[in-house]
Amino acid sequence: MTHDEIESIAALDAIGAATPEEQGLFAEHVRDCLSCRRARDEYAEAATLLARDLAPVAPPAALRDAIVGAVDEDDEEETRERGPRINPWWLATAATLFLALWGWREIGIRVTRTDNASKQAEIARLEEENRLLAQKNEKLSSEMTSLSAAGTRTIALVGKEVAPSASARVFLEPERRRAIVFFHNLPPNAGDKSYQLWIIRADQPAPMSAGVFDVTESGSASLTVENLPVETEMKALAVTLEPKGGAAQPTNTRFYVMGTT
Amino acid sequence: MSSMPQVALVPAIARGDVSAFEALYDRYSSTIYALLLRILNSPDDAQEVLQETFVKAWTNAKMFDAVRGSEVAWLISIGRSRAIDRLRSRRLRSDRENDAGREISIHSSFVENTTGADVAVQSQERAAVRSALADLPEAQRIALELAYFEGLSQSEIAIKLGEPLGTVKTRMQLGMKKLRDRLREFQ
Repeated sequence: MTHDEIESIAALDAIGAATPEEQGLFAEHVRDCLSCRRARDEYAEAATLLARDLAPVAPPAALRDAIVGAVDEDDEEETRERGPRINPWWLATAATLFLALWGWREIGIRVTRTDNASKQAEIARLEEENRLLAQKNEKLSSEMTSLSAAGTRTIALVGKEVAPSASARVFLEPERRRAIVFFHNLPPNAGDKSYQLWIIRADQPAPMSAGVFDVTESGSASLTVENLPVETEMKALAVTLEPKGGAAQPTNTRFYVMGTT
Repeated sequence: MSSMPQVALVPAIARGDVSAFEALYDRYSSTIYALLLRILNSPDDAQEVLQETFVKAWTNAKMFDAVRGSEVAWLISIGRSRAIDRLRSRRLRSDRENDAGREISIHSSFVENTTGADVAVQSQERAAVRSALADLPEAQRIALELAYFEGLSQSEIAIKLGEPLGTVKTRMQLGMKKLRDRLREFQ
């Protein structure tokens, strides 16, 4: 539609005579048309001339009091509903302080949570350490019992060519068919190697593994051997360096320590 | 109108100034009441709608835009809209279509009988308005009044006047353009 056509509708709309269809077209057009919006306002103002042409009639005086009274009451209610005025500056300050304190509290909670988690981990680590120490203590007590037992025999193993300063002492309990072996001055084994203790038996040609162990920089180690053959069947004890974890049979004859029973 | 500048009151009312509201009432209540009587032909209804009009002006004062029109035009629009709504609902209750033509003469008579209540400060403005309407051909003026005061549609006016719809529509458009042109001259 042209602007003139829209203006014609505006003229009718100002006196409420535009059809619903015309009102729709008009509303859609003026949304984006400043000049037609201006025409709409001008026609609306012009239409009121019809009313302003009427001879004024004073309404009853009591009506004025009723209307002003109603408005005045409404104003008082609104003031009451609004409540006391709050200075925006104080409101902003209070809000800032609240946010700062809330933020500080949140940070504190997070730090405390992190700290708690760290302490819980430390507690778990200490409990595990305590458990291992208890096991070690139990083992040492058992070993002390073995060492001090009346039937315990001592066997000395001496260093051989590859480790002449090395030595070992075996505390053997024949009745319990158990032995505790303490090694000294053995060279530390590489990461891919393990020391292995062999029992050379009188009744069998092949050596029997009595266990594997590692030696650190201190050169010391200990090994508890259970279910030993009866004493009479054991001929000698020897240690070789084998692949990590040990071997079914010795892979070499380079003995580090050796001794007969 | 620009020849009689008056202090704007609605902005103060928007700030909750009751004394400004009283001034607005004193300034325009007679104009609005005359319009409501013209439309409703009932003092009781007119007084009710007058109260509704000014209470709405109080609550909606912040929505008033001086760029779009004058304060009196804003009040007249509120009052007319409410009065026409009431008139239409009244028509739904009783068939008064045959009386519509007679009502115009009744209203005119009623208003003319109350001219003694004119407010002095508005007399100059009213004279200017009368001058603006003086050049309006009678046929155009009747068509405009039937729409503006009776709330009749184009087709209802055409039936009532026994004129083709296109003729009635053209009369209304020409009449409104003349009113707008005269208003521009005042401004």
